[in-house]
Amino acid sequence: MTTKNSADVCVIGGGICGALLARKLSLAGQSVLMLESGPRVGRGELVERYRHSAFKSDFMAPYPFSEMSPHPVFTPEANKYIEQAGPHAFQAQYIRMLGGTSWHWAAQMWRYLPSDFKTQSLYGVGKDWPISYDDLEPYYYEAEVISGVGGSTETGSPRSQPFPMEPVPASYFQQRVTDRLAPDFKVLDDCTARNSRSFDGRPACCGNNNCMPVCPIDAQYHGGIAATSAEKAGVHTITEAVVYKLEHDDQGAITAVNYYDWNKTSHRVTAKTFVIAANAIESVKLLLMSATPQFPNGLANRSDQMGRNLCDHPAIGVTFDMDEPVWPGRGPVSPCSIGQFRDGDFRREHAPFRIDISNASQVASVTKELIGAGYYGVKLEGAIRDRASRRVSIKNALEQLPDPDNRVTLSDKKDALGLPTPRIFWDIDDYVKKGTVETRKRYDEIAKQLGATNVKHSKEGAFSNRQHITGTLSMGKDEATSVTDPFGRAHDHANLYMVGTGVMPTVGTCNVTLTAVALALRTADKILSEARHG
Amino acid sequence: MAKLFKFAVRAVVAAAAGVVFAATGASYAHAADAATPALIEKGKNLAVAGDCIACHSTAGKPAYTGGLAIASPLGTIYSTNITPSTKAGIGSYSFEQFSRAVRGGVRADGSHLYPAMPYTAYAKLTDDDTAALYAYFMHGVKADDTPSPATSLPFPFNLRFSMAVWNALYLDTKPYVADKSKSVEWNRGAYLAQGLAHCATCHTPRNFLMGEISSQYLRGGSLGTWYAPDITPGALSRSGWDQAALQAYLTTGHAPNCATAGGPMLEAIDKSFSQMDPQDVQAMAVYLTDLPAADQHAAPVPAATVLPLATSDIAEMAGKIGAGERLYRNNCAACHQVNGDGVRGLPALRNHPGLRYPTADNVGMAILEGVWPEHKQGMPGFEDQLSDREVADLTNYVMATFGQSKVTLNEHRVRELRAGSATSPLLVLSRAGMALGVLLIVALLWYWQRRRTLRAAP
Repeated sequence: MTTKNSADVCVIGGGICGALLARKLSLAGQSVLMLESGPRVGRGELVERYRHSAFKSDFMAPYPFSEMSPHPVFTPEANKYIEQAGPHAFQAQYIRMLGGTSWHWAAQMWRYLPSDFKTQSLYGVGKDWPISYDDLEPYYYEAEVISGVGGSTETGSPRSQPFPMEPVPASYFQQRVTDRLAPDFKVLDDCTARNSRSFDGRPACCGNNNCMPVCPIDAQYHGGIAATSAEKAGVHTITEAVVYKLEHDDQGAITAVNYYDWNKTSHRVTAKTFVIAANAIESVKLLLMSATPQFPNGLANRSDQMGRNLCDHPAIGVTFDMDEPVWPGRGPVSPCSIGQFRDGDFRREHAPFRIDISNASQVASVTKELIGAGYYGVKLEGAIRDRASRRVSIKNALEQLPDPDNRVTLSDKKDALGLPTPRIFWDIDDYVKKGTVETRKRYDEIAKQLGATNVKHSKEGAFSNRQHITGTLSMGKDEATSVTDPFGRAHDHANLYMVGTGVMPTVGTCNVTLTAVALALRTADKILSEARHG
Repeated sequence: MAKLFKFAVRAVVAAAAGVVFAATGASYAHAADAATPALIEKGKNLAVAGDCIACHSTAGKPAYTGGLAIASPLGTIYSTNITPSTKAGIGSYSFEQFSRAVRGGVRADGSHLYPAMPYTAYAKLTDDDTAALYAYFMHGVKADDTPSPATSLPFPFNLRFSMAVWNALYLDTKPYVADKSKSVEWNRGAYLAQGLAHCATCHTPRNFLMGEISSQYLRGGSLGTWYAPDITPGALSRSGWDQAALQAYLTTGHAPNCATAGGPMLEAIDKSFSQMDPQDVQAMAVYLTDLPAADQHAAPVPAATVLPLATSDIAEMAGKIGAGERLYRNNCAACHQVNGDGVRGLPALRNHPGLRYPTADNVGMAILEGVWPEHKQGMPGFEDQLSDREVADLTNYVMATFGQSKVTLNEHRVRELRAGSATSPLLVLSRAGMALGVLLIVALLWYWQRRRTLRAAP
């Protein structure tokens, strides 16, 4: 039975992975308590906050910030929540709120390629996973059914079952770009958890083109929906519960977690099993903060791997004006991509990458640009109309290899509850840099094929973060080189599991949420099997 | 979901008669014609018009195998298997038995059906059409041996023979008689609307025994949650309905006068009207816009046309908008637009006929449950996201702003709507136990006796 301070399973973190794991456990009869550090905020209020925001291009703008459960903020001024210790700033964005960071996303739900699980064996780079694509395939499907995923069948990820959802029809923009780039570049539908028909009490996408920062009609799946479904399945949720310490017994088994409510009153929760699902950066922070004399380097960290191997998809971009009006801005913001550079023997030499073609409305960026160039009045309006109709924006996702030096540690700064904030060291190696050279070549070919003018590459040597934060809680068979076992269980603590993107040893060649959710559902099965067999 | 309410109403109807009385079922002596393909096809179309499938099927199961669980205020009612299975369905029914069930509400074994089955309307069916329906259900539907769960309502509602007295009061077994002064098309429409399409089941208000008040034919009634509006010609024309608009509405769920269907009506459109022969739909529209004078009345004059609204963000940014408007902007405006005019097929709310009803229940229900057409864009429900107070505020804003209506909804009513149909006075009666039940029986017997006496009087 769940009480407010005891349950069979305590899940720390109410994002998409924690919530769907909690839901599965609860449906199977476990009592589950889910602790979320952030507040509970409804979609309507988020939509309002975005409407009121002066920073429409800041996807964090709708998500309330609290000193009690802080997260990085970038506008109007960066709050420097994360201390940057490396040559490249890791501009992490995540949301501390019930539902987590997938509140703002484009619902990309991609399966890895089978080769993404074994790059060391195949290409001599990166790490092999302790599990294969086939191990995860049923869980990929389970997650796709829950969230309603549709997409291209030509992405290179084999399927045992058809997609449960049909893709949203291609916009005119997507159709024209696809036609113009064929056959040299094959533009494919992205794999997304976006309704093209009524499903699960949610309507079809009607093209608000507002997927990021928030879909106003819930046509796309997100962690808030996952959290609601967990609660309907019987999961007891406590929000504004900032877990700051785990306790263990002499054998290293976790016995309790302690959290502060937002009044800084401490509470203690006991359970048989604990699951940390608190984001790839914040989970590390919590485990490091929980150091004891028996585990002086933090919990689950005897290998000293905790927080290391931090990866993202560093990205570079290009914009240009096509030679015909194609009107991006109708339909989903990220509908399609080019996948032919995700895999091949070249992965021995340079980073593979996917090229993502944005369908976001370009009106705001074009307007800013034109006003900056001195346009005004009728001429401004005409120029906005012209350029916004032809502007194409493209970016990529480069696979970064795990590097133990890229890591999350604790900074010396403290937040309002007196808890340390994260410090991140992040660098970009030559493998990625060579990938950017290849990418730019392709960008120029694409621009040429679309009759582009006004071609602008992103700044040489600069990378943006795609927020596909992986590696910090890496799973592996070898206790010396990983944090968790192939089921996400801490090597050092038999009743402590971790889920979320952090357990993924490599960042692969696509968005990471589906893989993280599939792993979480697999971890749930493991917990259930342990509960049954002791 | 929609059918739940319709069904619930019928369940309440079923429960209304707590009386023991001997049955004297009507007899329909008519032999079935040979089941030719043409006859089977005709029967199929009639079954569509009767919307048999809505209640007698469950999603994901073979058609007409029944088993639909209906959470009525009096207990769960299950629809039956009406495939020609001799084990689980109606395969062993003779034509006479079939006819008696459809038009008289009596099963082959002699026990009474609950009027969850709208046999009081189906009684209008001609013998020929009943024969066609029989041919279809015997030869055009695939037999399936899946038994439907038995319905067992608590006492006194479990006494099926108690329905006999209710039938004596409310069942007119005479098939439709054509009005020679009207056109063939009008008569076709009247036959369908009164019979298979069973419009009156929802659109005619009911008395305390849940019998239709025939003097208020089609003048609107509540199904407990959703409200079925007045669809007599006066009321229709005042909300911008004409024959073409009705036809469009019945075929698509949308009409040029801004109407969009929701709730049980949407289900009837999806499963029945939109699948019917367009000429039959047209005939019904002809009939409904031209009811006999006796069935017409001076409908109340609704509010004037709402002119386009000027909208501005200034009041909002200054924090000077009310709770309802704020909720509307946050939850509804993405599709219906801030000015309520909709966009590209997403419905307008301004001048929506649903805002002119004497109750705001349907707006509240749409907000709570959403509106889910089978094939087109759905509207999500907000029952998980909005409190009773918020649903009331939002409803009242929509009614006042886009319909210029003074009709409102309060928190208490929203709570009832949220709870579903569990608001029937009969529930209270059934819970009050035997004593009250006996009183009811006595009252009914007295009423029935008196009625017979009055009828018999010279």
